[in-house]
Amino acid sequence: MKVRLLGVLITAAILAAGFVFWRSTVAPDNGSPAIAISEAQVRGGQIVTSGRAGPRTFNRLIGQEQSTQVLSMLTQGRLVRVNFATFEVEPWLAEKWDVSADGLTYTFHLRPGVTWSDGVPFTSDDVLFSVQAIFDPKSESFIADTLKVDGKPITASAPDAATVDIRFPAPSGPGLRLLDGLWIVPKHKLEGALRAGTFSKAWGTDTAPSEIVGTGPFVLREYVPNQRLIFDRNPRYWRKAADGTALPYLDRIVYEIVPDQDAELLRLQSGDLDLTQTELRPEDYVPAKRAEDKGTLKVSEIGLSPQADAFWFNLKPEAWKTDPRFAFVRRPEFRQAISYAVDREKFAENVFLGAAVPVWGPVTPGNTAWFWPDVPRYFHDVNKAKEVLKGLGLEDRDGNGVVEDAAGHEARFTVITQRGIGWYERGLADLRTQLAQAGIAIEPAPLDYATMIQRMIKSDYELMYMRFVTTDVDPASELDMWSSSGDAHFWHFGDSNPEPWETRIDALMKEQIATLDQARRKEIFNEVQRIFAENLPVIYFATPRMYYAYNARVQGVKPSVLRPVALWNADMLSVRQSGTR
Amino acid sequence: MARFLLRRLLFALLLVVTVSSSALLLTRLAPGDVTTELGPRARPEEIARTRERFDLNRSPVAQLGGWALRAVRFDFGDSFLYNRPVGGLIRRAAGNTAVLAVAALAIATLAGIPLGIVTGSRRGALAGTIRTVSLVCLSIPPLLTSLLLLFIASRTGWLPTGGMTSVEAVDAGWSAWMLDVARHLPLPALALALPLAATFERLQSQAMTETIHQPFVVAALARGVTWRQLLLDHAWRVSLRSMCAIYGLAIGALLSGSFVVEYVTAWPGLGRLMYEALRARDIYLVAGCAAMGGVFLAFGSLVSDLLLFAADPRVREGQTA
Repeated sequence: MKVRLLGVLITAAILAAGFVFWRSTVAPDNGSPAIAISEAQVRGGQIVTSGRAGPRTFNRLIGQEQSTQVLSMLTQGRLVRVNFATFEVEPWLAEKWDVSADGLTYTFHLRPGVTWSDGVPFTSDDVLFSVQAIFDPKSESFIADTLKVDGKPITASAPDAATVDIRFPAPSGPGLRLLDGLWIVPKHKLEGALRAGTFSKAWGTDTAPSEIVGTGPFVLREYVPNQRLIFDRNPRYWRKAADGTALPYLDRIVYEIVPDQDAELLRLQSGDLDLTQTELRPEDYVPAKRAEDKGTLKVSEIGLSPQADAFWFNLKPEAWKTDPRFAFVRRPEFRQAISYAVDREKFAENVFLGAAVPVWGPVTPGNTAWFWPDVPRYFHDVNKAKEVLKGLGLEDRDGNGVVEDAAGHEARFTVITQRGIGWYERGLADLRTQLAQAGIAIEPAPLDYATMIQRMIKSDYELMYMRFVTTDVDPASELDMWSSSGDAHFWHFGDSNPEPWETRIDALMKEQIATLDQARRKEIFNEVQRIFAENLPVIYFATPRMYYAYNARVQGVKPSVLRPVALWNADMLSVRQSGTR
Repeated sequence: MARFLLRRLLFALLLVVTVSSSALLLTRLAPGDVTTELGPRARPEEIARTRERFDLNRSPVAQLGGWALRAVRFDFGDSFLYNRPVGGLIRRAAGNTAVLAVAALAIATLAGIPLGIVTGSRRGALAGTIRTVSLVCLSIPPLLTSLLLLFIASRTGWLPTGGMTSVEAVDAGWSAWMLDVARHLPLPALALALPLAATFERLQSQAMTETIHQPFVVAALARGVTWRQLLLDHAWRVSLRSMCAIYGLAIGALLSGSFVVEYVTAWPGLGRLMYEALRARDIYLVAGCAAMGGVFLAFGSLVSDLLLFAADPRVREGQTA
C-alpha cells in the first residue's frame, strides 16, 4: 500500500514539474512588468555579447584573431574606416584628407580635440609611431604586409601635430581602404616597448586594463581568461550622434566567452546574451525565428554571404608523385565535368535548407561591388559531364559506376574537410550523391581543424572542402590567394611553375591593384574571374543567405556580412529604456 | 603510516611525470601543430617564428627534456592560445574545476549511496523505479545531459544558462560573488553528478546485495538485530569497502575529466582548458593540464587508499605488518 502511495506521489510530482516547465515554455510573457518601448536611442545600460575565445593579445598590431579585432574595434581607432554596412571608406580620426596630383600622397587632417582614454592628446606623433611600429621587423606585425604596395611599405610624415602625410610607394587601386588596417596605438604607452625591441610582447593579456588606452568608444575594464571581457564607456570618446548626444550610448559591453555554439544559441534565446559575433547557422534559423515570434529575439536577413564553400583538387604535381590520376585531375575539363555534374539548386536546398543561391566563382552576389554576373557557368547536365569525361578517356569500363581511364585508374578521391561543421558534412554528402551519377566517387574524411590545416599546408590531400573567411570585399585584400606566388594560393602552394592562365591572372591582378580608375579595375577583375571560371582550380556551388539574431531590446544594430557582424558599429548600439539589464 | 604516505607521494610524482610527459610527446607526434592556429593564410615567417618559440624545431625528445628541466623550476612554458605562462592559467582553472567537482561529488554521494542502499536491500516498485532512472542516467552521455539541462534552464529561467559568474557579480562584494557562483553551480554540477550518482547507486546496490546474503547477516538477524539496524550499522559498513575503492578514482576522474560539461556550460575549468589546448595543439598547455590532471588522479587514488585504510581493518593490519 505504502509503495503504491509513493508511486502515485512520485508520478504526481513528475506531472506537476512537467506542467510548470510546459507553462514556462509556452505561456506568453504577460507576468513580467510591461516594457515601455521607446524607439529613440538613449544613453545608458549594457549589453552582453559573446565569442568563441578570448584574445591572445590586446595589441591589434600583433594579434589578428577575431577577439582581438573586436577588442580593437571597441577600444581603438584608425584614420579612416571601412563602413561594414556600405563598404565605403569614411573619416574617423582623420576629419578630412587631400590627395596629391599623382594620387600617391594623402594628407590627413586630424580631428581636433581627440584625446586618448587617459586624457593625453592624440596627435600626428601617434600616427607616425604606429606606422613605425608596424614596419619595425622586431614587432613581427602581421599588418606590415597589408600596408605594402608593390612590395614596398607606405611612409608617413607629419608637417604639424594635426596633419599627417601618408605616401604610397606606387599607385594603389584600393588606396585609402588599405588604411582601414592602420590601427593607431598610443605612443606615450608603447614607445618604450618599441625602443626595447619588445613591442611584439607589449600589451599581452596579462597587462593591467588601465594600461590599455585608446581612442575607441569603450575602455577595457576587466579580462578574466576563459570567462569574459568587460568594456566600460570611454568618457573621452570624440564621436557624437546626429542629435549631438555624446557616444557611445551604452555604459558597458560585456563579452562572454562561450565556446559551444549550441549553448550560445540557447543563451541568446533565454535573454542571457544580446548579441553574438556570427551569423546564424542554417539549422539555427527555425528556433531563432520562433523566439522572434515570441518577441524575445529579432532576426534580420543580412544578405548573401560574400564567400562560398570551396571544393578543390590539390594541383601541386609533387603531391601526386607518380599517381596516374593526376593526368586527368590537372585538366580543366575534368573539373568542368564536376561542375556540370552538380545541380546547384538542389545543393542549396539540401545543404543550406533552401537559404542559399547557386554560385559559379569565388566572388558571390553578396559582394555587390565586384560580382560579375556574366562569369562562365556550367549548368547542371549529367550527360554533358559524362561526355566531357569521355573526351578525357574516362569511362565506366568495368560497370562499377565509377569512371576510369584506359589503364583502369578510377576517378575516386578522398576529400578532407573540418569535422563537426554541419554544412560541410551535408555538403559533402550531397556532392557524393550527385557526383556518383556522373561516375565520380568521393569519400568524405572529416578531420579536426589542426590536422586538416596541417595537411593543407603540406599539400597532403587529394581534394578539400572548406570556406575561407573574407576580411574585405575588395579583391586586392586577397592578393595572396590570387597570386601564384601568394601564401594563400591554396590549390597550389609554392607554385614555382605556374600554368599560363595563372601567369595571366598574376599580371592582371598586378595591373588591377595599380589602377586608380575603379571602373577599369572592375573590368580587369572581370577578366580574372573569367579565366578562373574557365580553369576552375576551385569549384563553388552555393552561397548562403545570412541571417543574424539578436535580442529585441538592442537598438541600432546594423548587421554586416563581414565579421564582427554587429560590434563594428558598437558606439551606435543602445538598449530600450526599461530593458536595461 | 608515514611509509605508506611516502609511498603514495612517490607514486603520485611518478604518475604526474608520466602523464605530463606522455601528453607532451603525444601532442607533438599527433598530426598538426600549434602553427595551424595561425590559419591557412599564415605567412611562412610567422609559422617559422611560432615553431621556434614553441621548440617545434627540436626533436621531440629534446623538447621534452628542455620542458622537464624548466618544469623543475615551476616554469611550464607559455600557452599559444592565451599568450601567457601556463602555470597561472592552470592554477585558476584547476581551482574552478575543484569547486565544480566537489559539488558534483557531494550531489552524487548524497543521492547515489542512499539510493543504492535502498535498491540493494529491497525489491518492489520503488527499487525498480530507482534502478530504471539510474540506467537512464548512466546511458545518457554527459554532452546530452549538459545540453538538456541548459535547454531547461534557458526555457524556464530557473538557473543561469552557463558560465561561472554573472556580470552583476563583477562589482559585487565577496559574499555576493559566492552566492552568484552558487547559483551557477547546480547546472554543470548536476550534469556531472547524474551519471556519477547512478554509478554509485549501482555499485552500492550490488555491494549491499552481496553483503546481506553473507552468513553474518543471518546470524545477526537471529540474534534479534532489527533489519534497519542491520542495514545501517553492519551491512552498509561492510559494503562500503568496494565503494571506497571506486570513490577515490571517481574523484580523480571528476577533477580531471569534466571537459564536455565544462565546454558546453562555459565553466572555466581545467577540462575546458585541456580541450581547447588539445584542439589547438597548444603543446605546453596540454602538458600542463595533463600534469594537473595527474595530480588530481593521484589525489583521488590517495583518498581511495585512505578511505579503504579507515574502512577495512584488513588493510590497516596489512600496512602495520
